[in-house]
Amino acid sequence: MNGPMPGQKISLPGVKHVIAIASGKGGVGKSTVAANLALALHMHGQRVGLMDADIYGPSVPLMFNLGVVDQTKVPFPIEQYGLKLMSMGFLLDPNQAVIWRGPKVAQAVGSFLAQVPWGELDFLVIDLPPGTGDAQLTLSQQAPLTGAVIVTQPAEVSLIDARKGVRMFQEVRVPILGIVENMSYLTMPDGNRLSPFGSGGGKKLANEIGVPLLGELPIDPQVSACGDSGEPIVRKLPDHPVSKSYVDLANTIMNEMAKRPTDGGLPQVQL
Amino acid sequence: MTTGGEPLKPLSLRREGDGLRIDWNDGVSTLATWRALRKNCPCATCNEEREKPSDPFKVLSAQEAAAGPPTPTGMKPLGHYAYQITWNDGHDTGIYPIELLRSLSEVK
Repeated sequence: MNGPMPGQKISLPGVKHVIAIASGKGGVGKSTVAANLALALHMHGQRVGLMDADIYGPSVPLMFNLGVVDQTKVPFPIEQYGLKLMSMGFLLDPNQAVIWRGPKVAQAVGSFLAQVPWGELDFLVIDLPPGTGDAQLTLSQQAPLTGAVIVTQPAEVSLIDARKGVRMFQEVRVPILGIVENMSYLTMPDGNRLSPFGSGGGKKLANEIGVPLLGELPIDPQVSACGDSGEPIVRKLPDHPVSKSYVDLANTIMNEMAKRPTDGGLPQVQL
Repeated sequence: MTTGGEPLKPLSLRREGDGLRIDWNDGVSTLATWRALRKNCPCATCNEEREKPSDPFKVLSAQEAAAGPPTPTGMKPLGHYAYQITWNDGHDTGIYPIELLRSLSEVK
């Protein structure tokens, strides 16, 4: 796939909202949140796409029970569980490492956005890789991002990097819709809650930057078990308390989007 | 930030004489000369050049020599935060955030 020229603005006329799921830190559950949030939005009757922008470590194929596809026979985006999906993992064998420098990553992300016929969508959820590098910058400069959701764990070690992600989005003026605290607590068999990573980190970050805390999602072994088996928990166990948390989160984001005026972006220059 | 708490944003940008007229969302209208914008290009190469002592024997490239006074051949918005200018000397790596455009402009 050949991408758009660097810096070229990408237009997605059929997509109402483009939301980036981000965090400076790796391993906080961005992909799990992105997949389950996309499915929860779909459960609310929304038309949803999920773009896996983690070029080095794509997760979408595994979580949606998909693998490498023959591009000549299966058109992109691939439809599964009612979502439109695109991932580097559809193009390369999972055992093959993507050993690319930044510009190639930026080109791939640009291609996913510009060359995949996303069609009419209410939400395009973009699962970002950790960090504040090429993928993030390409999206900030080229994609019509409506906003970003920052995922963090409650622990300070996660907040340090989440703040960097927040600063990057502030710098490039992408609105931060709110914070999602993942792995907030574990419900013990006796009903008590255990907070292995501490508590209140997400709220603290949300207060620091003046955005809402969109949700606190618990740790539950079934979340990763469902993801690993190719069917995220929201779809596999819709009545599970974690699934209900995602449905609430989706509802909060839909309400948040409804409150925001549509920003047409920066005006063109008449030279 | 504007007084209403909204981030500073240009409402319109157009060529005027030897500069760029910008009407802002806080009601202010400014003019930035092309010379000021080119001289303060924020790209890494130009930042580095500005830190070096000036070289009186610097040889201009053929494109630079032929270009004449700085004038843009293209200027496009990048995301929600900046504009990228392509100059008549071929230089195009400067990304001008909104705040920089404002600070390089004068109210006229």
